[in-house]
Amino acid sequence: MSNKTLLLTRTLIRNGEGFGIKGMKNKVSKVLFALMLMIILPGLVVMFSFFVNSAYSALTAIGQEGVVISWGIAIASTVIFLFGIFYIAASFYFSRDVEVLLYLPLKPRQIVGAKFLTAALFEYLITAAVFLPVVIIYGIRSAAGILFYIYSCVVFVFIPVVPLCLAAVLVMVLMRFTNASKQKDTFSIIAGTLALILGLGINLTVQKFIINMNPQELEALIMKGENTLALLTSGIFPTARWAVSALLDTVTTAGFLNLMLYAAVSAAVYILLLFLGEMVYLKGVVGLSETVSKRNKQNKTEARDKFLKKHSALRTYTMLELKLLFRTPIYFLNCVIVNFIWPVLLLIYMVMGTEGADIQGTVKQLMNNPDIAGTIFLFGIALFTFVAGFNGTVSTSISREGQELFIKKYIPVSYRTQILAKVLSGFILSIAGAVFTLIAATAVFKLPLYISMLILAAGWMGMLFISFVDILLDLYNPKLDWDSEQKAVKQNLNVVYSMIISSIVGGLTIYAALQFSPGFIAAVLSSILVYGVLNVLVYLLLRKKGVERFGRLEG
Amino acid sequence: MIELIGVSKTYGGTVKAVDNIDLTIPDGEIFGFLGPNGAGKTTTIKMITGILNADSGTIKVNGIDIKTGPIEAKRQIGFVPDSPNMFLRLKGIEYLRFMADVYDVSPKDRAQVIDDLVKNFGMEDVLNDRIQSYSHGMRQKIVLIGSLLHDPSVWILDEPMTGLDPRSSFFLKEMMRKRADSGKTVFFSTHVLDVAEKICDKVAIINKGRILFCGTLDEMRNSSKKDETLEKLFLELTENE
Repeated sequence: MSNKTLLLTRTLIRNGEGFGIKGMKNKVSKVLFALMLMIILPGLVVMFSFFVNSAYSALTAIGQEGVVISWGIAIASTVIFLFGIFYIAASFYFSRDVEVLLYLPLKPRQIVGAKFLTAALFEYLITAAVFLPVVIIYGIRSAAGILFYIYSCVVFVFIPVVPLCLAAVLVMVLMRFTNASKQKDTFSIIAGTLALILGLGINLTVQKFIINMNPQELEALIMKGENTLALLTSGIFPTARWAVSALLDTVTTAGFLNLMLYAAVSAAVYILLLFLGEMVYLKGVVGLSETVSKRNKQNKTEARDKFLKKHSALRTYTMLELKLLFRTPIYFLNCVIVNFIWPVLLLIYMVMGTEGADIQGTVKQLMNNPDIAGTIFLFGIALFTFVAGFNGTVSTSISREGQELFIKKYIPVSYRTQILAKVLSGFILSIAGAVFTLIAATAVFKLPLYISMLILAAGWMGMLFISFVDILLDLYNPKLDWDSEQKAVKQNLNVVYSMIISSIVGGLTIYAALQFSPGFIAAVLSSILVYGVLNVLVYLLLRKKGVERFGRLEG
Repeated sequence: MIELIGVSKTYGGTVKAVDNIDLTIPDGEIFGFLGPNGAGKTTTIKMITGILNADSGTIKVNGIDIKTGPIEAKRQIGFVPDSPNMFLRLKGIEYLRFMADVYDVSPKDRAQVIDDLVKNFGMEDVLNDRIQSYSHGMRQKIVLIGSLLHDPSVWILDEPMTGLDPRSSFFLKEMMRKRADSGKTVFFSTHVLDVAEKICDKVAIINKGRILFCGTLDEMRNSSKKDETLEKLFLELTENE
């Protein structure tokens, strides 16, 4: 490995790459990041350790305890590979330092090597979180000798190499032969959505696994799972098999040879990556900042016709907000997608949670009881309130303007119209999310259609109320000083405040439903009355104070 | 016409960015607003356009007070901010559509803009691309076009020449002249004194929030009694401060 590769690796690490703290300029975000690492990661590790421990017990019963090692390596490799795809794409192609590196007298393989090593450093965190509990639990419980731990150290060092190389090859080929590198936004949106779905999938699988944990079922699962996991390890990451064999057989020469084979092949794969990098990296990365323009002349007349059509300021402003929400990856993931993820999560947890089956049964039972329809109706409205409160669209709508807020001050559109457009854009997304939830709820709980329709007909008032409250929150406490869109939505406390407020409002609605068990008609009328009055009051407040506040905001 | 009477603006309670200025920018003239960095040019422009609220004083655009009739006053103005890096995720045509709707431009006038302005700035082939993919000069052009969609009677430009290629720069200067000659107000800030010297009918020089000079270039030369370039006069004026 050349000195320049190591020099570059050191510089990249010092520059903050590797742990995602690049761009965190203030100390608070660094501290928060560190806290997250110190709290969330250990939490996951502890949970995983418990899982490994009980799996070990169950597996010993059938004499297959070695499977935990193969699981550990398989899980670590899979997670590294998946994270690696996003990480490599971000680091190799979308990072701002890439252009600076291009004009330095560096060979492509040196850049690829250094960036790879920096990425690997980050992946060791994941490896440690997954592999160490396995090694320690297996080691202690099987009373393994010192050689096992030494071998484990060697395996630990090489675990990220092959999965990360595969991820890098995938990304480099993709960037070389498609124009994905020039479609950063599209790539981020697709990758982010996939990651969300993947995260959700893993979450649910683990949830299901832990809930279903009883010895017989576990055994059945393992018999089935061992095959799939073995396939996974030997199929996608063939080298992992040697690592497993080495760790399970530390006393014979075969074990040692397996370990050497594992290390040698991993190193060879890394060298192959460097050769590939030398061939394709530059071609994919050069011209990254070039303009992407299709220069599509066919649509010219169509665009012209659209331009000639006149629309109201409210409509055009609302459409602008929605376009920006859909086109900015961070906003899309945090404001648009969450509308659809939260409801799904909520429903799945309700159905799959430990008492989930009972809830579902109870709801079905309740629905047959006409006296309870009012309560169900109020639950539906509360759910709408949660959906509105848990997406950050309206509660960040002023913050998202950032340095561009000045534009909204010189255009001849009244602040009231602008505020309404911002509320409306969030409200439209919330309604879409709510309709989606309602369809799911109707299917899962077999809600009678008339109740679903009535919830929709009255529930929007809860959403509108939360949207009005959200915009007031953001008008009084906007986060306008940001340099990356991420900060406008992800590090914005207004989103948290909105969640708290919507939880209180929704919670009170549920409380009222349970406390008074109103009849259906009474529930409909009282909710229309209460939410109606609340909406009028907060709208009046917004019209007066909100508009004044917008006028005083100076970006 | 733009009128500023006793206008002041203080940032953070201590930094006086604009200090009790009086300024009248008449119709039918190109009016250059000059001053060193941090002199108060952009703050003044932001107060005229309604982006910032003045702490005291009155600002009128065509006789309409920006404080009491903000929407009507803003309708009079076409504004080109100093940085064209905005709405980067919109396509050029989408940005123009937004501005046209916001300024209530009729379909007939829109057609003229497409046929006239867009063509003259050489932007017809890129209107369907995202502004993100534009060069600095192209971004500047799309903002310039957006500012003229409603044929404003007052055109305010903050450092408009930055990043423009020679042809567009020439076209812009020509347009400024044409608008002034047709009786409209053209008010622009600049650092480039050569440009100001060539095209301005009148200039105002601001430093440390106060107007040091306001009048024609000849008046400036007469007052200093030296036949010097604007650059030298500018340096002398701002140096003595």
